[in-house]
Amino acid sequence: MTAVAASVPAVTRPTRVRRRWASVLWLLPPLVVVLGFFCYPLALVLRQSFVTRSGEVSLAVWQQVVTSPEFTAALGRTVLLSLGATAGCVLLGTFLALVLAFAPFPGARVVSRIVDAVLAFPSFLIALAFTFLYGSAGVLNAALGGQGGGPVDFLYGPWGVLLAEVTFYTPFVMRPVLAAFAQVPSAQLDVAASLGARPALVLWRVALPEAWPALASGACLTLLLTMNEFGIVLFVGAKDVITLPMLVHTKGIVTFDYPAACVVAVVNVLLSVALYAAHRWVFRVLGAGRSGEGRRGAVPNPA
Amino acid sequence: MLFRTRRSRFLLWLAFGVLFGVVIAAPLAMVGLAAVAGTWNGVLPAEYTARHLADAASGDALASALVSVQTGLVASLAAVLVGTWAALAVRSAPRPVRRVVDTLLHLPVAVPSVVVGLSLLVAFSQPPLALNGTRWIVLVAHLVIVLPFGYGVVSGALDRADPALAEVAASLGAPPALVLWRVRLPLLAPALSASASLSLALSMGEVGATVMLYPPDWRTLPVSVFAQADRGEVFLAAASTVVLLGLTLVGLLTLGLAKGRAAER
Amino acid sequence: MSAPAVELRGVSVHFGRTVALRELDLTVGRGEALALLGPSGSGKSTALKAVAGFVRPHTGRVLLSGEDVTDLPPHRRGLGVVVQNYALFPHMRVADNVAFGLRARRMPRRQVEERVSEVLSMVGMADYRRRFPRELSGGQQQRVAIARALAIRPPVLLLDEPLSALDAALREEMLAELLRLRGELPDTALVYVTHDQGEALALADRIAVMRDARLVEVGPTDQLYHRPRTEFTASFLGAANLLPVEVVAAPGDGPATVRLAGAEFRAEPTGGPVAAGARAALGVRPHRVEVRTDGGMPARLLAVQWRGTGFRLDLELDGGTPLRAEVSSVDGLPPVGARVGVSIPDGCPLVTTGAGG
Repeated sequence: MTAVAASVPAVTRPTRVRRRWASVLWLLPPLVVVLGFFCYPLALVLRQSFVTRSGEVSLAVWQQVVTSPEFTAALGRTVLLSLGATAGCVLLGTFLALVLAFAPFPGARVVSRIVDAVLAFPSFLIALAFTFLYGSAGVLNAALGGQGGGPVDFLYGPWGVLLAEVTFYTPFVMRPVLAAFAQVPSAQLDVAASLGARPALVLWRVALPEAWPALASGACLTLLLTMNEFGIVLFVGAKDVITLPMLVHTKGIVTFDYPAACVVAVVNVLLSVALYAAHRWVFRVLGAGRSGEGRRGAVPNPA
Repeated sequence: MLFRTRRSRFLLWLAFGVLFGVVIAAPLAMVGLAAVAGTWNGVLPAEYTARHLADAASGDALASALVSVQTGLVASLAAVLVGTWAALAVRSAPRPVRRVVDTLLHLPVAVPSVVVGLSLLVAFSQPPLALNGTRWIVLVAHLVIVLPFGYGVVSGALDRADPALAEVAASLGAPPALVLWRVRLPLLAPALSASASLSLALSMGEVGATVMLYPPDWRTLPVSVFAQADRGEVFLAAASTVVLLGLTLVGLLTLGLAKGRAAER
Repeated sequence: MSAPAVELRGVSVHFGRTVALRELDLTVGRGEALALLGPSGSGKSTALKAVAGFVRPHTGRVLLSGEDVTDLPPHRRGLGVVVQNYALFPHMRVADNVAFGLRARRMPRRQVEERVSEVLSMVGMADYRRRFPRELSGGQQQRVAIARALAIRPPVLLLDEPLSALDAALREEMLAELLRLRGELPDTALVYVTHDQGEALALADRIAVMRDARLVEVGPTDQLYHRPRTEFTASFLGAANLLPVEVVAAPGDGPATVRLAGAEFRAEPTGGPVAAGARAALGVRPHRVEVRTDGGMPARLLAVQWRGTGFRLDLELDGGTPLRAEVSSVDGLPPVGARVGVSIPDGCPLVTTGAGG
């Protein structure tokens, strides 16, 4: 033990302050990465959006982009697509999770493994698969007897993108909901059933309330991810399905109109960050009472 | 069991099977089938061939696959390193600093990958750091995109970790560096492995930012798959995708083994 | 005389806006066993963490053997710590757990080996060196945790609710074990945090009773048990009845005379001087209450509970004061609901009322 003279009360404050600063210094390396490679470039995007191609600082680009039919159509399409896809994911994900949790069948584990695997797949894989399934020369059209330009022709439009997004993002809802259902003690369900409640009522009154936070936060996340989805839209390659990320891509590296691309990017980021804030808020407020124990453990317990 | 009658359970399973089969299983099966399809005009391929897979494992496609593997490894390693560092450092920072940094590190999740790509183009096409046109800009983009996940996994594990272990280790005379090396990091091994797995999988499949940024000599596999599909070589695209999934799987299994070994020790 | 092993001078600890510990002054002598006793949230664990260095005091100083260690991190304090869930390193074998502190001190290999064997046999775990913590039972894990803390030969051993995670039978066994270890290590001071008065009474030389982040009372174990100064100590340590009495005569020093339900007793004013005519609380332990069929103060028998070793009686004195008694036998007592006579011995402590402290 190091010898420290007794009764030197003056040292407390400075050492504490110094130690706090030391801890902030340790944060510098990761902060440099995030600030340098993420925040700084985004700030430049924001600045760029106010500079015209000729180098003047003005709102001209904003005015021009925001009022263009191309932009308003993309904005509307993006919002509609992500709302639709999220609704689909919530319905399908909840149903699949309900069956897996409360009416499991032999092989249910394999199925949830497959779902886990989908989470690790790139989204464009689904779009690629859809061309084989629903494309003009795809399986479905072959089955229905059409040869080259069969009866099924939705893939290269918004419905194709929508269905692909539902396929890819359903696991993002199903996984957390399944985890929430696993928290429902089966005794609770048995008691509810023994009191005479029908299965539908038991699910509605006992199981679903337990899953609300997971469902809400999963839905927020899906809304965010579908709004930002690019791979599926790119691979489906539908001419009339231009979403905001697609517009950024087109303006940025097809027509090299950086200022306009930056305006679209700023709008897209604002929307996404708002959704992300909602997601975090839902997670904290709804999740706090039930699954927040881990987080609370970080706070010293004054017992 | 909630659904007691045979009929209700059967109906439920039927609905499940149809939905799951059509929406999730069928598309996945399609890619696998297409990768080995010789000619495919009916419901099932008329003949099977390994030609596409062989094509996908040679020439340009192989070069792309190697680029993807390197990008994935570098990006996920960097993400685990930076993420773990941040997760550990943020815990001893004052509370307001902690909240800000935590939000900042999670934020790239909320930004579309295309916008990450655009922002890097805008920022690094000029001095002081003219990365545009080099492979570094792709690596940076992948790091930015997977970092929130790398950080989040480790941070979550630290939230759940028992603070008493590190406290007791310190009380036994171990200075912070030793506590970190001998107690905290070994206990984090499963989380580090999970964080690396997630980062690797995401990086291998990244397309949005890469398509904005890639230089001719650093084309990742997903970009090549898009080019193949765009050219109409859909079977080759499917085969390349299968190769991509296979490589990702090998990476994940290796990391899983590493985790298992760490847990045994 | 040498400096005390541990000394806390006006230590306060805040977590955000909550005050977890308020101005605690406390000393632990060399080789002394002090129990910090109190309900959960009383600040006893926080006090221990302040000694160990896991939390930083907002104000006040912490001294170990006369040295001010307030600004020293835990790893430079040289204390042994055993926590509630043992906190054994799950990725290390038993021997490596125990050797951890020695290796941190760069002790030569041979010596580490010897010391590990020594402390493991001290706690009866010599045969388990190669096991992982998850392969041990709760009691065995507890022994390893103690061995790990003792391996560094700390002058002070801090134990935070060490038995609370064990079942009742194992708790008895470990308590006996701790008592035996204490005999083997007469120079090691012990700070023992618990909410269980039985553990405190069995192990400690002195007890510090805590409540609401404050020290209520501290004193030698038997004094605190027999002559508590505060209501809180009287009820928490030994579950005394607190009977509202009126002081009839108080000579200043020596016993006072008090009145309850018409009867008068002599009582020790342990809580400080009292004045005649004042109201006070008389602390009467259940086993000192005598219950008869008649005579003494009239009361009604409300309930009888068999406790194995004896009976617990719930009574109500005339006037409505509830009273709890413990007797070894109920032979000859009337049935529940009947009237009985109760007598209370002279010499019970007259304690201060209110929150105490």
